[in-house]
Parts: sequence; C-alpha cells; structure tokens
Amino acid sequence: MTFEFEAGGTGRAAGIVQAPECGKANALCVPATIDSLEPVTGFVLGLGKQARLTDSSLYRFRLAADELVTNIVVHGYRGEPGQITVDGGIDPGDVWVRFQDDAPAFDPRQGMREPALDVPLAERQIGGLGVFLAFTAVDTFEYELVAGRNVSTLVMRRPAVE
Amino acid sequence: MAFDVTLRINDKVATIQLTGELDASTAGEFHATVGRAAGEGAVELVIRAEQLDYLSSAGLRSLVFARQKMGDEVRIAIVGASEPVARTIRLAGFDHSIDLVDA
Repeated sequence: MTFEFEAGGTGRAAGIVQAPECGKANALCVPATIDSLEPVTGFVLGLGKQARLTDSSLYRFRLAADELVTNIVVHGYRGEPGQITVDGGIDPGDVWVRFQDDAPAFDPRQGMREPALDVPLAERQIGGLGVFLAFTAVDTFEYELVAGRNVSTLVMRRPAVE
Repeated sequence: MAFDVTLRINDKVATIQLTGELDASTAGEFHATVGRAAGEGAVELVIRAEQLDYLSSAGLRSLVFARQKMGDEVRIAIVGASEPVARTIRLAGFDHSIDLVDA
C-alpha cells in the first residue's frame, strides 16, 4: 500500500465537523469488526514508517491504534454493525492518526484502569487494560465528542531531524 | 496477520511456540491451545516467544486465562520475548506471576 499525506495537520488543527471522505488517499473506512484490525494496522504502520518513527515508537503507535479499534468494536458498537473512519497525517514534529465512530458517546479514557500490580494475576480484573496500554504507548491521546461522533486522536512525536 | 501456534508436550512440560502477531483476531487460537495444554495435565508451561512479533492486551488476557487455567502450582515461563513484547508484559505487571526468561 502507498499513501499520500497532507503537507500539514490542517484537518486536526481545524477540528472535525464532517467525516472526511474515505476516497482520500490518507483515510480508511472499515466495518466495526475485529477483522478490521489488519487494514488499520497496515494503515498505521505505513503512516508511522513514512514519518520515520523508530522501531520502538512504531510498535507503540500500532499498539495504541490496535487497542483503540478493539475498544470501539467491543465496547463502542458492542457487536452492532457500524463503521470506523481512520485518517492520519504527518506534521514536522509529530505523526497522528484519528479514529471516528458513531457508537454511543464513550470516552475510552473513562474505561482506563491501571493494572493492580499487587493482585495475583489469576485474580486480576483486567478490564481497561487495553486503554491503559494505548494511553501509555503514545505521546498524546485526545478524545472529543463532535456532533455526536466519537473522535479519538493518537499522536507520536517524530525523532528530531539531524 | 500471520500467526501460528504449536503445542508440544514432553514429560508433562507443555511448550507452546508462538509465531507472528498475537492480538484480538488471533488470541482465540492461543486460548484454545492453552486449554489443550491444561487438559493434558501439564505441570509446566513454556511459551516460546522468540518469533512473536507483536502482543496486544488481547494476548495479555490469554496469559491471564493461562494463569487461571493451569492453576497456581504450574510454572509459566515466557522465553525469548523481544523488547517491546516484554515491555508490554512488564507494564501490565504480569511478570510478577509469569517468569520472563531471556527477555
């Protein structure tokens, strides 16, 4: 897959009023199913590689996106049919990917719980772990409810140019 | 994404070899394999992770399942996890209950 990206993060800076068109080269529309993890992963890895993230940052960027999509499918749409719109861009200082869905309003950060490290694993309640991993993986994790749509944005800083 | 899981049981030691990416779309296969290892009465579970490229929270949940399914007496070790995979396991605090070897 190849992607073309906007020169700047104008979409993000301007905020979202309408869903971006999925005909754009830097956007992806996928059904809200676990099978969509694969195309989303491809999209995010392509974006991160183009932004020249380090291997470690690239892994964390992908992990956060994976957890967020899983969260939207499992806790957002809860098995109901739906769609997730993914777009992203590269700015001089960072790379970002944004997820939009029409599931009931839900701030994923509210579901986050830090792991109970002192509780034996076999007795652990591990709900919220995915969001915790996503939150700790990226440099910025933003959530907004925009015109009834859930909009989550993940941002990774890019390595400084020599 | 490419994923493969194999199970070998030798003298009550179950060895599960993971290859590829363990996420929400592949965790079910791993889950089933852990169930088979427990069903065979294994007293130790060794998870070979040298070829495991990726682990998400869905994979971590499978490890919780393994911990519960195998019982307290069974040692579970993950061998050869890469740095980011080991980081995820440590971040969740799972290294308190599962041995990370050569990671």
